[in-house]
Amino acid sequence: MDRQTRLLEYLTSREAIFGDVGSTSRNPLLQGFDRALLHIEARFSHEKRMEKIAAVFPKTFALLGDDRDAIVREFVHACPPFDISRLENARQLYNFLISRWENRPPALRYLPDVATCELAIAQVRIGADSRLAVAKRPAHKRPTHKRPTHNRPTHNRPSEIRRNPLIALLHTRFDVRPIFEGKWGDFSPIERVVPLAISFRAGEIGIFELTPEVFNLLAALDAWVAVDELPNAEGLIADLGEAGLLEERR
Amino acid sequence: MFSVAKADRRRRPAVGIGYRSAIAEWTRANLKCFDLLEVTIDHCIYGSATQRAEIFDFVGSIPINAHGIGLSIGTDVPLDLAYLDQVAAIVEQLHAPTYSEHLAFTRVPGRDLANLLPLPKTIAAAESIIAKVRTVQSRIGVPFLLENISYAFEWPDSNLSDADFLNLICRESGAGLLLDVENLYLNAQNHDFDAYEFLDSLSPDTVREIHMAGGIAISDDGLQRSFLADTHSHPVPDETLDLLEYALSLYSPQTIILERDDRLDETGEILADVARIRLCVDQWSKHA
Repeated sequence: MDRQTRLLEYLTSREAIFGDVGSTSRNPLLQGFDRALLHIEARFSHEKRMEKIAAVFPKTFALLGDDRDAIVREFVHACPPFDISRLENARQLYNFLISRWENRPPALRYLPDVATCELAIAQVRIGADSRLAVAKRPAHKRPTHKRPTHNRPTHNRPSEIRRNPLIALLHTRFDVRPIFEGKWGDFSPIERVVPLAISFRAGEIGIFELTPEVFNLLAALDAWVAVDELPNAEGLIADLGEAGLLEERR
Repeated sequence: MFSVAKADRRRRPAVGIGYRSAIAEWTRANLKCFDLLEVTIDHCIYGSATQRAEIFDFVGSIPINAHGIGLSIGTDVPLDLAYLDQVAAIVEQLHAPTYSEHLAFTRVPGRDLANLLPLPKTIAAAESIIAKVRTVQSRIGVPFLLENISYAFEWPDSNLSDADFLNLICRESGAGLLLDVENLYLNAQNHDFDAYEFLDSLSPDTVREIHMAGGIAISDDGLQRSFLADTHSHPVPDETLDLLEYALSLYSPQTIILERDDRLDETGEILADVARIRLCVDQWSKHA
C-alpha cells in the first residue's frame, strides 16, 4: 500500500506532470521506475482530469487567459484528485480559485462571478437531469401516485407553492449575464450586486435577474406554502411558475 | 496448445459495441447493426438519471454485457463490498451473463487517479488478486472476467511475463479473461514483446470475451520514439485486426466488443470497425 500511495502521490505531482523540480521522486520507494514513462502516465491522467474540469468552466478557462497555465500548476499542487467525478473535480478547482482570488484578485474582477455561475449551471443541469429521467420514463415504469378523486382541483389556481428545489439562487457582484448570452471580447460587465436564479428547462439554461424582494421570497420558499398566505401575488406566482422557478400543486 | 479443431466446434462470437450515452440516440437507431451492447456498470451506479434510464431501456431489446471501471481490484486494501453489492444488483437487472473488470488499480485512500495503473507482475501480487477474485465471485451471481490493461510503465520488481501473470490468476481463481486485443498490441509495441507469443502462451479456455479499439501515437520530449496510447478514439489498426484473427484461431470468445470513447460523432468509423470485425469472424468461420 505504501508503494501504491507514493506512486499516486508522484503521478499527481507537478514534478511528474510538468517536469517541475520537486522532492517526490527522491522517495526510495520509487527507485527503479522509468521516469519518462511515469511522466507519460501522469500527463495522460492530468489531461483527462482537466478535460472534465474545463467542460464545467469553459468561460472561466477562456477568461483566465495567460494566467491559466500557472493557475493549473498551482491547482495540481494544492488539490490532488480524490474523486473520479466531473463535478467533484470542478468543485475542487472552484474552491481553489475562490480561495486564491481572495488573496490575489484576478485581473478581470468579475471572474469569480463567472466561475460561480458556471458551477451553479453544472449543478442545476445534474439536478434537472434526474427529474427529466423520471418524467421521460414510460408510463408503465413510472411509479403511480394517484390522487384521490375527491382532491382533484376544480380550477387551475395552485393551492400551494414552493421554490423549485433544482434551481440555484446566488448573488453576483457584477452583472455577468451578458457573458452567458455570448457577449465576449471587449465587453466589461457592470459592477452592481445582481440577485440571480439559474434554472434548466426544456433543455435550456435560464439565468434570471430577480428583484431583491423576489429573491428573498424564493429563498424563503423551502417548503410548501399555501398560496392564500401570499395575498395579491397571483401574477408573480404565475410568472415564476412559467420560468420554472416555482413548483405548484393544487 | 489449444487445438484449432476444438475452437471450431464453438459458436460464432457475438459482435457489438460499448454503449456510450453521448451516442444513445444513434445507438438506438442502429441497434440492428449489433448483436449485443456492453454497458459500463459504473454509469449505472454513478451516471445521471437520464443515463441510467437510457441504459435500462435497452434491457430486453438486446443482450447486454456488464463491464466495470470502478472496482480497483489491485488497490492494496480490502474490496469495497457495498460497491460490489451494487454491482451485483445491476448485473441482475441487466440480465448480463458475465461481469468484467480491469486487472489494475486506479486509487488509494484519499487519492483517485481515475486512470488504470498496472500491478507488479509478481507471485505476491497475483496471490492478492486471486483472493479478491474469490470475494467478487462470492458476491456476484455470474462469471467474473479480468481484462488486461494497456500500461505506460512497469513496476521494477515485476518478474513474471504478462501472459504468465494472467494465466496464474485465471487458473487459480477460475476467473475468465477479457482479452483486450488493442491493449495487447499497444503493450507489445511500447514494451517490445511479441504479441503473437503472448497469445500462444495464454491457457486454453481462458479467453471468454474480447475488446477491440483504436488509439493514437503520441510524442514526448522524454521519449526516444512515439508512444502508442489507448485513447479509444480512432479506427482499429490493421495490426490489431490481424491479432484478432489469430486469437480467433486459438480461442472461442463469446463476444467481441468495439470500444470507442472519443470522436464519437464519427459514427461511420464505428460501423466500419464493426464491419471489419465481423469480416474477421467470417473469415475464421469459413476456415472452421
